[in-house]
Amino acid sequence: MLAWFTPRRETWLFKVNPALKFIIFFAFLLITLFNQNLSFAVWQAVLYGILFYGFSGYSMKKLALLSIPLAISFFSSALTIVLFGKGESVLWQWGLIKISEESIQHALLLGSKSLSFGFVGFTFLLTIQPILFFYAMMQQFRLPSKYAYSFIASFRLIPAVTEELQIRRNALKVRNIQFSRGLKGMYERLQMYTVPLFAESIRRAQRIAVAMEAKQYQMGAARTYYYPTRYSLMDGVFLTVMAIGLGVTLMLAFWR
Amino acid sequence: MKRLKFTDLLITIMIGVVFGILMKFWDDLYTVVKPILPVARQLIYGMWFMVGPFAYLLIRNPGTALIASIAGASLSAFAGHGIEVLIYGFVQGLAAELLFAAFRYKRFSMAVAGLAGVASCLGSFTLDLFYGYAALETWALIVKYGLRAISAFIFTGIFAVLIVRALEATGVTSLIRPVDKKEYTMLDR
Amino acid sequence: MNYSNRYAINLTNLRLKFPGEDSLIFKDLSFSVQPGEKVLMLGPSGCGKSTLLQVLSGIVPNSIELPMKADEINLPDSWGFVFQDPDTQFCMSYVDEELAFVLENLNIPRSDMAPLIEEALKRVDLHLENLHTPILELSQGMKQRLALASVLLLEPVVLFLDEPSALLDPEGTKQIWSSIKQATADKTVIIVEHKIDLIADWVDRVVLFNDHGMILADDSPSTIFKHYQEELKRYGIWYPSVWDEYKESESFKSMMHEREQVSSFEKILLNDFHGFRGTAPKIFAKKAVAKTGDWIAITGENGSGKSTLLLTLMQLLRTEGIYKVNGERVIQKKRKKQLPKGLSLVFQNPELQFVTNSIAEELTVSLHKMSKPQAVNYAADLMQLFNLPNSGTRHPYQLSTGQKRRLSVATALTPQTDILLLDEPTFGQDARNTFAILEKLEQLRVQGITILMVTHDMEIVKNFATSVWTVADGVLYTNNEMVGGVFECLHGSHLDEKHGYSK
Repeated sequence: MLAWFTPRRETWLFKVNPALKFIIFFAFLLITLFNQNLSFAVWQAVLYGILFYGFSGYSMKKLALLSIPLAISFFSSALTIVLFGKGESVLWQWGLIKISEESIQHALLLGSKSLSFGFVGFTFLLTIQPILFFYAMMQQFRLPSKYAYSFIASFRLIPAVTEELQIRRNALKVRNIQFSRGLKGMYERLQMYTVPLFAESIRRAQRIAVAMEAKQYQMGAARTYYYPTRYSLMDGVFLTVMAIGLGVTLMLAFWR
Repeated sequence: MKRLKFTDLLITIMIGVVFGILMKFWDDLYTVVKPILPVARQLIYGMWFMVGPFAYLLIRNPGTALIASIAGASLSAFAGHGIEVLIYGFVQGLAAELLFAAFRYKRFSMAVAGLAGVASCLGSFTLDLFYGYAALETWALIVKYGLRAISAFIFTGIFAVLIVRALEATGVTSLIRPVDKKEYTMLDR
Repeated sequence: MNYSNRYAINLTNLRLKFPGEDSLIFKDLSFSVQPGEKVLMLGPSGCGKSTLLQVLSGIVPNSIELPMKADEINLPDSWGFVFQDPDTQFCMSYVDEELAFVLENLNIPRSDMAPLIEEALKRVDLHLENLHTPILELSQGMKQRLALASVLLLEPVVLFLDEPSALLDPEGTKQIWSSIKQATADKTVIIVEHKIDLIADWVDRVVLFNDHGMILADDSPSTIFKHYQEELKRYGIWYPSVWDEYKESESFKSMMHEREQVSSFEKILLNDFHGFRGTAPKIFAKKAVAKTGDWIAITGENGSGKSTLLLTLMQLLRTEGIYKVNGERVIQKKRKKQLPKGLSLVFQNPELQFVTNSIAEELTVSLHKMSKPQAVNYAADLMQLFNLPNSGTRHPYQLSTGQKRRLSVATALTPQTDILLLDEPTFGQDARNTFAILEKLEQLRVQGITILMVTHDMEIVKNFATSVWTVADGVLYTNNEMVGGVFECLHGSHLDEKHGYSK
């Protein structure tokens, strides 16, 4: 699984400070979220598409594979709006379904946005190492260490939790547990899985926190870093590229 | 208000992350349902509002609803669900947190928990307005978000409270809840 | 001389309770330790030894809040703590990162870290080719030594060890104690442990607690082991001669007297049998047979495929080849896998197989075919057989570790069950619970139930199993009849030649 996430080549995006990359991407996505202009949304998606397909450093095969969920989310989010969206200039109507010019426009806007989010999300994930992201958040953006290490410690346990889920599933089969239908069954299922999982996770989390404090971890105390992260020339390049990208997409969208 | 201990914080974030993992599995079911049955999809959507209120009901410390909600969203984001889930996680968690704060962090009933879920739902609706998910005909808008709010109430008000009760019965919650002052006076007997 | 210097630790009249419980865990307990002393604390599980260790280190109340007070507390400024569970003492994913985490806490400059990390690993005899090794890839015993290494970086004056070998196999146990002895010669060491073979003559002092959290005796090891044998036995301590004494006991002798095979009926038959996880082949058996009333011990190194074998027998994984239960061929359907009738599996973690809120419900929930009163009677019998609290209303999670384990075995026993698969049912249990479980299993065996049990414990293999299966690198080897052949087989390197099996 992890081996899959080795890039074909490490592009310049890999050398950008991961925390800075996150903050900038996040800020840009806020623009995407609040933007209501279709043309701008489309050009934004194009910009992020270029980043994703051009500079994430992964082979086209893998990128194509990752594109599948993006395409699904594009169509599934757009479809509802096309069919049930609000609009006056009706093109086609059948019962409750009504396709209008506005609804198509809204659907394209929504679809482009979800593509943007997907491209940026994957570009970020494919070009960082999670551990360095947290270290950079502490060093460059003053994220209190208590949050960073809590996240690191919790993420470390993901394999253990998924394994437990699997065991639980087998155990329920062995115990021959049958669930009711409908909402009640949904609750039964939820409870059967959550109770043992959370009971164990709570105890684990407590033990780990205690062990960390026993190793003299103190919230808010001064500390050194095993992975020093800093800014480099590439961060300048990244900022410039993003600024130019924003400028160009704005121009393409609004220049008449 | 007492500051969160490090143990409390780590437990809160762990609960969020574990919930995120569960939601990831839940999502597999959801993706299957998504295009086929819009109504069913809205009815199970409430799971996405559960994490914050659930964590708060369990740990009962101020701040837990917000932090757990962000932690759950982070896991989803890292699992490839896009960075927008972080924004949703933050807004939904904040809405639930504010609701518990409005009751001065003293109420843990089904009604209050359910309202927290509905508040989260309202938060996500606000974001949907900007995002574009809400650009629907009025009737469709009401059906979609009405069902979603009902689902939010069922999942956070009923399911979350029941699961927390089931966890209380196991005895683990006594590890994590603030110790009552009375307990100290019992030492002198 | 300053008072606080005379003792490494001093505590007077400690009172402590758990929230929500009426009685106190400790009532006016006083305790002190001299600098450089090696102290072993013994007592029944649940008597509060581990909690005391946490009080002495300051973990309670600094990290865990418990209602407590004391007239006087002098705790060490510099201490380290190794915990029981190898999987819950690290926050980082790699060996070097975990050790660096400690150095970061101590605010040590980055440039000084690398040599300190290497030095720490050397001190615990952990030799890794690459320091950036995932902790996940270490054995449990190596993890405990890593925990010790990270604690040594704190240069502690006092070291607290809370059952550091309880969850380790014999090899890991040996290594962790040898590392501890080597690294802590000049330190004060306070130990809580049930498995004490390797330290009984190393410690200077043994403190024996009773069920009520009171100190029953506090003396040199030789005196304690001489005068308190009865208590040690009752508390389930793994003291050095515990197996020998058990084998001399009346209950064991009468159980093993004229022990014979129940029947030669073939309950399970495997022939050219393969098991897969996903598409990867994980286990292969050329031929294997289990007969009615067999007690088969399945041994082998960690990760060799023992647990996988149980899952394939239970049909929870994809399998190919011939697999017969009670003479009937088990055919695996592609889509909806059906579990073979008569088999039941007991997983390692009991909590993961509990599904209800009380012991009684737990025992009746799978009895779909029985009437209510029948089911209640059936459950009552099981509760009695497995020494469970007979009101039956207790929540399964609220039971002691031994009770949980017994309940998990009991839940597997529906009236249809005649083959019981168990994944290390005695792992991490104290001596008393271990013998209790083994005796229950023997009772079942005599009644004609076939037992297949994964275990690392050679004493169990020698004294209880009727035959042994060994798993090595995903291949199952059988045919080791119990007459003295076990050890040769387990330690011999002639497996392939002997049986002519190819991988």
